[in-house]
Amino acid sequence: MDIVIRTEGLTKYYGKTLGITDLNLEVKKGEVFGCLGPNGAGKTTTIRMLLDFIHPTRGKATIFGLDTHKDNVKIKRCVGYLPGELELYKNLKGGEFLRHFAYLRGGVDWKHVQELAERLDFDMSKPIRSLSSGNKHKVGLIQAFMHKPELLILDEPTVGLDPLMQQEFYQMVHEAKEQGQTLFISSHILPEVERICDRVGFIRRGKLIEVEDVSDLKKHAFRQIEIHFAGSVPKEEFENLSVVRDVMVEDSVLRFTVAGPLDAVIKAAAKFEVVNVISHEPNLEDIFLTYYGGDENAAS
Amino acid sequence: MILFAFFICAFFPTIQESAAELETYMANMPEALIAAFGGTGSNIASPEGYLNVEFFSMMLPMMFIIYAIGFGGGVIAGEEEAGTLDLLLANPIPRWRVLLEKFLAMVGGITILSFMSWLGLVAGIYVYNMNIGLGQLAAATFSSALLSFSFGVIALAVSCLTGRRGISMGIATALAVGTYLLYVLAQVAKSLEKYQKLSPFYYHLAPDPLANGLKLGDMAFFIGTIVVFLAISFIAFQRRDLAV
Ligand SMILES: Nc1ncnc2c1ncn2[C@@H]1O[C@H](COP(=O)(O)OP(=O)(O)O)[C@@H](O)[C@H]1O
Ligand SMILES: [Mg+2]
Repeated sequence: MDIVIRTEGLTKYYGKTLGITDLNLEVKKGEVFGCLGPNGAGKTTTIRMLLDFIHPTRGKATIFGLDTHKDNVKIKRCVGYLPGELELYKNLKGGEFLRHFAYLRGGVDWKHVQELAERLDFDMSKPIRSLSSGNKHKVGLIQAFMHKPELLILDEPTVGLDPLMQQEFYQMVHEAKEQGQTLFISSHILPEVERICDRVGFIRRGKLIEVEDVSDLKKHAFRQIEIHFAGSVPKEEFENLSVVRDVMVEDSVLRFTVAGPLDAVIKAAAKFEVVNVISHEPNLEDIFLTYYGGDENAAS
Repeated sequence: MILFAFFICAFFPTIQESAAELETYMANMPEALIAAFGGTGSNIASPEGYLNVEFFSMMLPMMFIIYAIGFGGGVIAGEEEAGTLDLLLANPIPRWRVLLEKFLAMVGGITILSFMSWLGLVAGIYVYNMNIGLGQLAAATFSSALLSFSFGVIALAVSCLTGRRGISMGIATALAVGTYLLYVLAQVAKSLEKYQKLSPFYYHLAPDPLANGLKLGDMAFFIGTIVVFLAISFIAFQRRDLAV
């Protein structure tokens, strides 16, 4: 299997502040790799090292087998990038900006740019100064995708997109994958990563904690669930199920945390009259605490 | 710029008329003040003297310097602070080429500015009958431009080192003001005389390019300064971590 991105002991300190440490990672050709972690975890640091904007304190990284520092220009020919904090030339119109970037890059099919703009419902004739953050984001996405790069590196790509555009973006990711492109996406939103990625690397406080297939992740994905019943329910009925934790009953409302398949819980609940089921996505901190509990060394 | 240079010439006849008065006035001024206005004892009623005092010793370099420092300080740092540099450098373009292109734009800008200023002067001396060679004007303009450009490249170097526009412009401006004062004070204070050659202004003001044309040595000083700080810019920008 071809490896597109490989990092070996990649480490970045900003003075004394840790950005990321000892990152060993392999991203395979054609996969969608998610880099998941809360704010300040080191996602942007990693990405900016891959693009040679900042230089590692230690370690190295290769993309397409090329050194990210020495061969950065060669690498960038085949990479599309969306920065986490996107800023555009405000004095240009959306279309002018894209033309400029297409020119700088060279070999961009303008028709494809127009297709992307149409897809994202983006009006190229408006001055960037007047665009909403969502619309600016579209410019960022278009310039990342416009040259059909072999590798897309997207730093928190859905932040600021409205739900409709998020769906469109997920679709774009899906199609990119079908066309054999590789994607490296950072995010702090678990459901998003579950939805679009094949594998996820969990990053927290500068450390890669675990890399996992999304299909495995889903098997033991846990959520907080609330079941509202027509009448009160006995706690014992649920307490002893192996997949649940933290069971609480308040009159007719049952609250619990479940890890793994829901089947047993649903079957138990089915004995009573169910009014409503509410599922809360866990926040990242909870996930990290639950699954990768021994994070004390990560915190040090 | 053209108009500005032209109008500077437009005041020449008035000055010439009141020349006698001015001369006595000047004679009474303390030496330091005369030096500060760029007077090197030359006759303000002559076209050379007039243009030196009014234009080439202070006004033109100052305008060029402001332009050059503004440009140089903003070249990399401006884009870095605006947050657009990441996106720009995600294109398959090496950093040195981005810098080179911006530097060339800077050269272009100051060249155009110089040329416009020269055109204005040419028109001015023609209309107001000032007896000065076009070559002399070009020499003095060119010397002003090189002087200013040196400060612009210093600003560029600081901008490449720090990524901060304000700091770059501040340092380069402080240097310009400081070295100008050094030059002027050294004119009158004997103790400072040996430091005068440290001031870039010395290589523009002392040789009086309007009267004497360009001297290789002076130009070499400017070009040397520019080359050194340009090299610093390239090395610094190539190596540095970029701010977000
Ligand atoms: N330029 C910088 N200077 C100093 N510290 C930084 C800089 N950039 C990031 N950091 C620090 O490095 C850590 C990782 O940040 P970052 O990579 O931006 O995280 P993420 O993208 O996952 O939110 C944070 O603690 C952050 O404060
Ligand atoms: Mg980030």
